[in-house]
Amino acid sequence: MSAPLVSVRNLRIHFARPHFNPLKPRETVRAVDGVSFDVGRGTTLGIVGESGSGKTTVARGLLRLVPVTSGHVVLGGTDITALGAEAMRHMRRHMQYVFQDPYSSLNPRVRAGAIVRSPLDVLGIGTPAEREARVAELFAAVGLRPESQHLFPHQFSGGQRQRINIARALAPAPDLLVCDEPVSALDVAIRAQILNLLQQLKRRLGITYLFISHDMAVVKHVADEVAVMYLGQIVERAPRMAFFARPLHPYSVALMSAVPTVRGGRERAANRIRLTGDPPSPINPPPGCRFAARCPAAEPACRQSMPELRELVPGQWVRCHRVEVVGEAIRRPLG
Amino acid sequence: MAGTGMPLLDISGLSVEFRGGSRTARVLNDVALTVAANETLGIVGESGCGKSMTALAILRLVPSPPGRITGGRIVFEGEDLLQASEQRLRDVRGHRIGMIFQEPMTSLNPVLTIGDQLSETLVKHLKLDARAARGRSIELLRAVGIPAPERRVDEYPHQLSGGMRQRVMIAMAIGCEPQLLIADEPTTALDVTVQAQIFELLRELRDRRGMGLILITHDMGVIAEMTDRVAVMYGGRVVEEAATAEILSAPAHPYTRGLIACVPDLDAEEAPGADLVEIAGMVPSVWDLPRGCPFADRCAEAMPRCVAEMPPTTVMTAGHSVACWLHQGVPS
Repeated sequence: MSAPLVSVRNLRIHFARPHFNPLKPRETVRAVDGVSFDVGRGTTLGIVGESGSGKTTVARGLLRLVPVTSGHVVLGGTDITALGAEAMRHMRRHMQYVFQDPYSSLNPRVRAGAIVRSPLDVLGIGTPAEREARVAELFAAVGLRPESQHLFPHQFSGGQRQRINIARALAPAPDLLVCDEPVSALDVAIRAQILNLLQQLKRRLGITYLFISHDMAVVKHVADEVAVMYLGQIVERAPRMAFFARPLHPYSVALMSAVPTVRGGRERAANRIRLTGDPPSPINPPPGCRFAARCPAAEPACRQSMPELRELVPGQWVRCHRVEVVGEAIRRPLG
Repeated sequence: MAGTGMPLLDISGLSVEFRGGSRTARVLNDVALTVAANETLGIVGESGCGKSMTALAILRLVPSPPGRITGGRIVFEGEDLLQASEQRLRDVRGHRIGMIFQEPMTSLNPVLTIGDQLSETLVKHLKLDARAARGRSIELLRAVGIPAPERRVDEYPHQLSGGMRQRVMIAMAIGCEPQLLIADEPTTALDVTVQAQIFELLRELRDRRGMGLILITHDMGVIAEMTDRVAVMYGGRVVEEAATAEILSAPAHPYTRGLIACVPDLDAEEAPGADLVEIAGMVPSVWDLPRGCPFADRCAEAMPRCVAEMPPTTVMTAGHSVACWLHQGVPS
């Protein structure tokens, strides 16, 4: 990998819970608890995990849409966690966000053309004439008809609205596009259209993506590298091919086996790894491995100490006591 | 399939219309479906194709006005539900036929405890007293895999996670041991690991009690894993129906083929960055259905006849029927 576009080091995002009893200590939700990763220029990092794993908070922290508790986010050589408000505002020109819900993320009272133009207005990019030309170019790039610039969001379908969202995010020509579940609110047949659009934009414009999804198959389709999150931490990070061929962390293995597939059918369901219970609370996470309570391969030691995220072979990282390297081979506890 | 010869549920010619001003939307058109005891029927299709409306029509819950069931028969255990009295229907709903709705966040009453809501149907249908109903509620919560059910039974919906709320909905739907369970996208809002738990529970209920199950979904993986037969709906019609293995290996309708191909597949050995197969365009509005095949304007194989005339449903092989002009004249 060439010099990464994005470097995240030891990112922590904690939220204080509102409290009503002044005698009790204030509780802290550790939504993101020590996350590090790089995203190479022009590549896609897919972050998978279940609800509450902290994947959306990581994405928001990257753009400083939520306050960062500690750690560093470096974009193209600039540490954005150290920037003041005005400098950060200009930095956002290089990093944009595509939201999950195409219905609530567009102002219903603003016409589509003005929505797509708004980042240019806000950031003061180009002359009015140049902005108009840029909007027309963006509408064509995302496959919307030029005359639809005059319509309001409610006059578009869900898939078209997501195209407006993407066009708006592309307007200031960002280097990094953070996509938070960009297709999960869309109908199955429309998902393919949007996923193909994102891939075309990557090929044509060399955009770097951070792609957040709970859907393993979607991540497999779009990502060059995959990170799996569980309760605020990355438990495994690996290149796409290596990860999907052989996930190492027991949680990754269980998560993948839970996905129903057309080819797998009933046999897959019968051989599934069963996880019981729910993830523990991020308020007072247990001292050892956070997955230990649900892990079919857990040993007493797993509950005692938190495993480190180790690089087993170049590019393949895993946070598990029980994954071992024996000679050339990696032995995984599950699967 | 059960060997009794008579299906548990037999729907034929079901049509539903919605009126709005001077316009009429034909939401369901001549829908025919059967479900046997111990059988799972999957219904797939995009939003707006009539899947949920079919489920609502079975329980006669179509919002009226503006909706109206304009024709057909829904024969459940030998009785036509479209002819049944309101009083009789109240006895069927939630007792003989259970339903799991799509939205676990909004389908529970926020001001009643979980126990109150579970007990209501038990008291009404099974004539249990309050103490017995509470005991049975705890049992049901345990059956759907909720930890510490003795404590949870007294909690309110907001104290439960989304996965637990959906499990409560399922506990409610199976509380009276229905003969038929209709599950409308029961796991759409849930994580895959929770989804796996819920499917296992549904399979167990079906196998142990011989319950019939209608599973509405848009996920072909779920279809492969859970169902015996599949009905593919489009534009308010059943456009293809067959045994699950057959429909996945030899889909006949271009829409079915598109639905299977357009979803990224975890098993696929594709090159990174390859494009997915798209189904162009979108579902037609029910207010503006075309005269011919509703899929014609999105279909790569459409012929002039497709636009002009609705194809009839033809049987291709035993148990495999399709409504498509491409398959007319295929000997059965």
